[in-house]
Amino acid sequence: MSTLINIGVAQVGTASSPAVLRTILGSCIGVCVYERMKKMGGMAHVLLPSTVQGGKPEKYADTAIPMLVERLLADGCKKEFMSAKIAGGASMFTFNSSVALAQIGERNAEMARAVLAKYGIPIVIDDTGGNAGRVIDFFLEDGRLKVKSAGEEKIYYKL
Amino acid sequence: MNPQIKQRIESVINNIEQLPSIPEVATRIINMVNDPEVSFKAIADEISKDQMITTNILKLCNSAYFSKGKEISSVDRAIVTLGLKEVKDAVILAATKIVLNKIIMGYDLAKGELWRHGLYVAVLAKKIALMKGKKDIADVAFTGGLIHDVGKTILALFVQGTFKEIMRTVEEKKIPFIAAEKDIMGFDHQEIGERILSKWKFPEVLKASVRHHHQPMSAPDEFRTVVSIVHVANSLCLMAGVGIGSDGLYHELVPEAIELTKLEPGELEMLFAGIPEMGEQAETLI
Repeated sequence: MSTLINIGVAQVGTASSPAVLRTILGSCIGVCVYERMKKMGGMAHVLLPSTVQGGKPEKYADTAIPMLVERLLADGCKKEFMSAKIAGGASMFTFNSSVALAQIGERNAEMARAVLAKYGIPIVIDDTGGNAGRVIDFFLEDGRLKVKSAGEEKIYYKL
Repeated sequence: MNPQIKQRIESVINNIEQLPSIPEVATRIINMVNDPEVSFKAIADEISKDQMITTNILKLCNSAYFSKGKEISSVDRAIVTLGLKEVKDAVILAATKIVLNKIIMGYDLAKGELWRHGLYVAVLAKKIALMKGKKDIADVAFTGGLIHDVGKTILALFVQGTFKEIMRTVEEKKIPFIAAEKDIMGFDHQEIGERILSKWKFPEVLKASVRHHHQPMSAPDEFRTVVSIVHVANSLCLMAGVGIGSDGLYHELVPEAIELTKLEPGELEMLFAGIPEMGEQAETLI
């Protein structure tokens, strides 16, 4: 039996095979990093792109992703065996695209891509944008990601 | 449009027996609180007649969300310590939990998720009202937020079989989910919610919050601010993924409603960033 670990809003969690990490996303981004040799990985559920003074670092892509990566490195993972999958970043339905609040999802996705690029961790799956909510399950036995959204399920195996 | 589905929904909403019920004390308390002549004692007596509600509201009044620090052990004390409006909100919480704390199949919400969503929206809506100096409507923002999706409890049964059609309509016509619900089933979850509140004899402002939470600008003038606050709080909670179902974010974000709340972009982002901490408070009401 694999353990299911729920990652809440603004939480960062790491675990190893065969654990499954799950989170529910709207405009937030679920950043999933997998280390294929150690079969370890982690997930960050980020709310917003960048840190404001005094905010909890788990909330923001520019601080939560480094936290996630550093935690995996501290557990003996190697960067060259890591790959990332990102999901979420949806936006509300709007007839006027200039509403700032409706752009948070896209800004989150952009920041997640930028921070992962800085670490040199390739993004192998980018399932972001649109208007649908997503429930994601990240399986650490093989790094696959199940994305359930608008009543449909997709499974990504790429590492 | 699927005429059979529409007919089946009509037969449910026209048969009052098939709509959910709540303890009558809730309706009586809401209306008593609106009467300026009413005495604290009359309200305390009324609540105390219902043992289950009394037990539950005392638990709520001692929760981290409502508590002012001192242990509250009687309805009289609760009213004196917290005030009438807070106790009335606690009564509505205790009374509606049984209706909202369910599996909502068609919208893909597991047991408890619609209840949690309502609590988060309630707490956030009240926070917005207080932040914007609208203390007089903070309590209705709270209860409006709590029950805004009550119509989903009935409509879910019909969404279950028509979800694919609804989604196809959303994609093809580029319309929000609510408009597609109406397109396919003849009703949307706001309308059904309003019917339920009519059965409960809830006041007009709450009916408006349920009926117009996705289109606040169609609410009657006098309720438009409250409805807009509920609209914004609901949008922020959905964006954070709290109680987000198969209808996802296919709901319109109405810029005029944001303007009406006078929330600046920076304030909205701050409220959004504060959802985890706010959630810790809301969780104490579960």
